[in-house]
Amino acid sequence: MNNTIIVGMADYKVGKSPAKLMTVGLGSCIGVCIYDLQSQIAGLAHIMLPSSGENSGGKETKYADTCLKLMLSDLDKLGAKANKLKAKMAGGAQMFSFAGKASLLKIGERNILAVEQELKKAGIPLMASDVGGTYGRTINFDISTGELFIKTINQGEKVI
Amino acid sequence: MFKMDVSAIRLEALKEIVNIGSGNAASSLSSMLQTRIEMTVPKVWLVPLNKLSDALGRLDELKVVLFLKVEGGAPGKAMFVLDENSAEIIVRKLLRQPDKVDILKDEMAHSALKELGNVMVSSFVTALATFSGITLQISVPALGIDMIGAMIDAALIEGGRVDDDVLILNTKLSASEASEEYEGMFLFIPEEGALDKLLGVFGI
Repeated sequence: MNNTIIVGMADYKVGKSPAKLMTVGLGSCIGVCIYDLQSQIAGLAHIMLPSSGENSGGKETKYADTCLKLMLSDLDKLGAKANKLKAKMAGGAQMFSFAGKASLLKIGERNILAVEQELKKAGIPLMASDVGGTYGRTINFDISTGELFIKTINQGEKVI
Repeated sequence: MFKMDVSAIRLEALKEIVNIGSGNAASSLSSMLQTRIEMTVPKVWLVPLNKLSDALGRLDELKVVLFLKVEGGAPGKAMFVLDENSAEIIVRKLLRQPDKVDILKDEMAHSALKELGNVMVSSFVTALATFSGITLQISVPALGIDMIGAMIDAALIEGGRVDDDVLILNTKLSASEASEEYEGMFLFIPEEGALDKLLGVFGI
């Protein structure tokens, strides 16, 4: 049976193998997988913005800092071991460029940095990432193997 | 936190606003393509971020998107979304070129599409500004050809903030000629505060 858990924008989900975690159409957003291979438990977050501090609130799952905290606590409840946790991520692209406004704000890059920083703070090693560029990604994480499958429209597919 | 209030009467008024704006955009499209354009009754959705696919369908489909920022008294994001086939037909008509165009790579095609986005969103915004008396400007157009979900997410967080619920105003424009049919979807996503200004015109 195809047991795939879909994660929407500004949301996160956790699960156990043999489930897979998937999020569709990442642009400047970041998909972050945090997993414990030994316990076969993982979570996937679809993060939209770097930090809850510089914005005017709303759903905590929009921001890198608050969303990852919530997901880590759910992973813990599900039985994942904090010292076994590892991470992979994808996304953070720049989908549009406006002529004459070259690098005014690259929200994708700021998202990448924010996620890296939060992982470092939490002491979770980032095993692999596929970030940046100017194209969208759909990602699928296999909880049983720890593989992250990345699909794009013009840049082929890869596994990290 | 900004809480969106979309009651039934506001919803009707919103549809009317979109009707006026996209009606004007449709007639520009019609005169650019020298053909009759059909327009659907506007739809209004207020969807939480994680349910965006309920309103927009499959988020991993390849689409051609013209994206313009609307700035001024009632800011927002305007997008004209085409499937690859429709974009190709429209480009051929705009360039008066009978041969197939590679819209993924052809730079002439890209500038024709950007011009199309520019004209359509200008018409939309002009209609809105005329009717509401609110001053509005548009940015230069940006073009994306990729997964629709990826382009929507990037457009939503342009500017570094995003509401929990997204208000999407949408009309479908279509044409069918002898052997070719094509259609596009016009989206307007008002930013915080823009809604109250536009609806203020109706006194609601």
